[in-house]
Amino acid sequence: MFRRRLTGVLAAGVATAALLAGCGGGSDAAADGPVTLKVLTWEPGGTEYWQQVKTAFEASHQDIKLELQSVPFDKYPEVQGPYITSQSGPDVMANNAGLELFDRRGAYTPLGDKAAEINKDLVTYSGACEEFDTSKPCYGVPFSYQGNVLYYNKDVLTEAGLDPENPPATWDDFGAACEAVKNAGKTCLALGLSGTFPAYWDFPEIARNYLTEDDIRGLLNGTLSWKDPKLVQVLEKLAEITTKGWTNKNAPSITMLPDGADIFQRGDAAFAGTIISDAVNWEAFGKALGDDKLGVTRWPTINPSAPLAGKFSGIEGAVYGVTKWSEKKDAGLKFISWLAGKENGELWVKYAKGQPLNKNVDPALLPSSPAFKKIQELIAEPTLHAGVMLSGPEADALARGWQQITLGQLTVDKWAEQMQQALERSPTKKQGN
Amino acid sequence: MSISTAPAAEPAVATTPPSPVRRSRRPRHAREWWFGALLVLPAMALAVTFKLVPLIRGVITSFESSSGFGDSSFAGFDNYTRMFDDPVVLASFRNALLVVATLPVWIVVPLVLAVLIHQRAPGWKFFRAVYFVPYTIAPIVVGIMFRQILSPDGPINALLRSVGLEPLAMEWLNGQNSALFSLVAVALWSFFGLGVMTYLAGLATIPEEVLEAAYLDGAGFWRRLFAVVVPMLRPTVAYWSVLCASGVLIWLFPLIYALTQGGPGNATMLPEYLVFLTTFQFLDRGYGSAIGIALFVFVAVLSIFSVRHMFKEGTRKPR
Repeated sequence: MFRRRLTGVLAAGVATAALLAGCGGGSDAAADGPVTLKVLTWEPGGTEYWQQVKTAFEASHQDIKLELQSVPFDKYPEVQGPYITSQSGPDVMANNAGLELFDRRGAYTPLGDKAAEINKDLVTYSGACEEFDTSKPCYGVPFSYQGNVLYYNKDVLTEAGLDPENPPATWDDFGAACEAVKNAGKTCLALGLSGTFPAYWDFPEIARNYLTEDDIRGLLNGTLSWKDPKLVQVLEKLAEITTKGWTNKNAPSITMLPDGADIFQRGDAAFAGTIISDAVNWEAFGKALGDDKLGVTRWPTINPSAPLAGKFSGIEGAVYGVTKWSEKKDAGLKFISWLAGKENGELWVKYAKGQPLNKNVDPALLPSSPAFKKIQELIAEPTLHAGVMLSGPEADALARGWQQITLGQLTVDKWAEQMQQALERSPTKKQGN
Repeated sequence: MSISTAPAAEPAVATTPPSPVRRSRRPRHAREWWFGALLVLPAMALAVTFKLVPLIRGVITSFESSSGFGDSSFAGFDNYTRMFDDPVVLASFRNALLVVATLPVWIVVPLVLAVLIHQRAPGWKFFRAVYFVPYTIAPIVVGIMFRQILSPDGPINALLRSVGLEPLAMEWLNGQNSALFSLVAVALWSFFGLGVMTYLAGLATIPEEVLEAAYLDGAGFWRRLFAVVVPMLRPTVAYWSVLCASGVLIWLFPLIYALTQGGPGNATMLPEYLVFLTTFQFLDRGYGSAIGIALFVFVAVLSIFSVRHMFKEGTRKPR
């Protein structure tokens, strides 16, 4: 009796195991039907664009199905972290280019020689490679171009007696414009300092006036001290933005997205410093204010003779790589190769209204918005983006220090000290990895 | 269960089988023991899997050093010694002490409200439901909601201005101290309903006659509260105190996440948020775990007195 029961239990166990193995389905080689590729993303460009990605990719790759796991951007690290620590989960994951990707590179399969082949038609892909050097290991594929510009509301500038066709080009002009805007009863620069976005976005626009590309690489490697006079000057100018009263007073306690952007979209501010693609770009602002009322310009220049002063801090958007633990690496590679291609570049332009990275995208598809056209001019002369060279502790200390400076709780020298401490606490930079 | 120890009525004879009591005692005991163990086993398994194992894992990780989410190496006590020189860690524990200092409010406010409801103050049925409602709202939603309410041009400041209290209208989430205490106040708003319910459960065990007698003896509300209710409610107060002592340091995470992200500066940085920040934003798993273990010890030390008191109360023999 007992034997019979035991046999029954064992048989059921074997059957269950077989069933589970079947469900797990898995390797590229053993697939009877389409391979299901799990992709972890925060959907840069919006849900509609990603639906198009799924439809278009699956149509041209009958053997691969996409299963998108979309996570809000600000929750992404806490979802991705456990996947990486347990070495399990999605087959393809996204990360921002630069340090964010380098810090998580242990989770990705290096592309090796395939990197250049996959990315051959992209404007740049160095942000997916260690130390922004394409001769070093690269971990994924970008498809969008990203960077920071200063958007402005032409109506608010007009109300303040300023010429909307000639926005302030220098730091002094910007200060004078802010006084005029304040006198007109509006906020000059919409800002939300709670969170790290302004640290990533505004810092490089000031840093371009003081640093060379070598300095920016020094920042990446942790060899440029925050007590270096150049970086102290960058902090001084960042401090001026708030201490001179150019921003909304509640900036320290609100976030840039959505709060700071909301102030600008409501028409209550003259300027907003954000990005050219993804979440809040010219399209979102154009929809809120009207394309004809939206202007876009480079951040005002502090030191016109600085070598990078007139450049654009450009960087790839999200980079998609194949995870080390994936059993569907071939399918993953096919998907990320497709992401870098012309077809996806055109979807990106059409549905996400973002700046494509693929050089072969049909120019006829590019939006006709004046702001988008101006962005094309600005990005023509790119340089390294200093924001993505910041480690987690540095970006955090920059954001918190800026809050404290704004509230009059900190001096710039003390801020520089805190930044240096943050650099020394950074696991990646400290260990020289 | 009882076992008869009464002497046998008849003297034993050779044909009489051995005492049935002695024969059945061991197997019955064993059966009961196994049955008891079987009942306890699932809870034990859950506690070991989801409490003990992560704790041990956390301790092990706290002795490791890692770069990003990559491989880690043994770091000895480095992570623990680092904490003493880290101004952010020190600020977070200083803030934790400030939060703990608000414990009397967490303990007394729900008690007073529970007694008022228990005594059927006007509108008690309405308030019994109303007080519990905030607890049913997800803390992350509470955080987002209060970010609007506490904003410089939000309803609280508008109300203060409208009633002529302009000087009291402030940037609640901007100041070094105002931000932390605003956060605690929001947490209290969110969680005190649970305290009211806990106290109401305890009050239900107090005989009505005792309170009536005190009332007839002329004891006022506060006298009845502190001379009658509190002494009889000691186990409940102790339970709620332990819950709050640990809770104020681990309940605040979603509120910090939604309201202040630890800012401005480090004004609302608490160790629980710093663990998250260090692990997932700074990708420093070992250090994050070390801060987590330090928080565990901090909370344990804080709770130990109340737990000891509860244990004594629970094991005290009735007089």
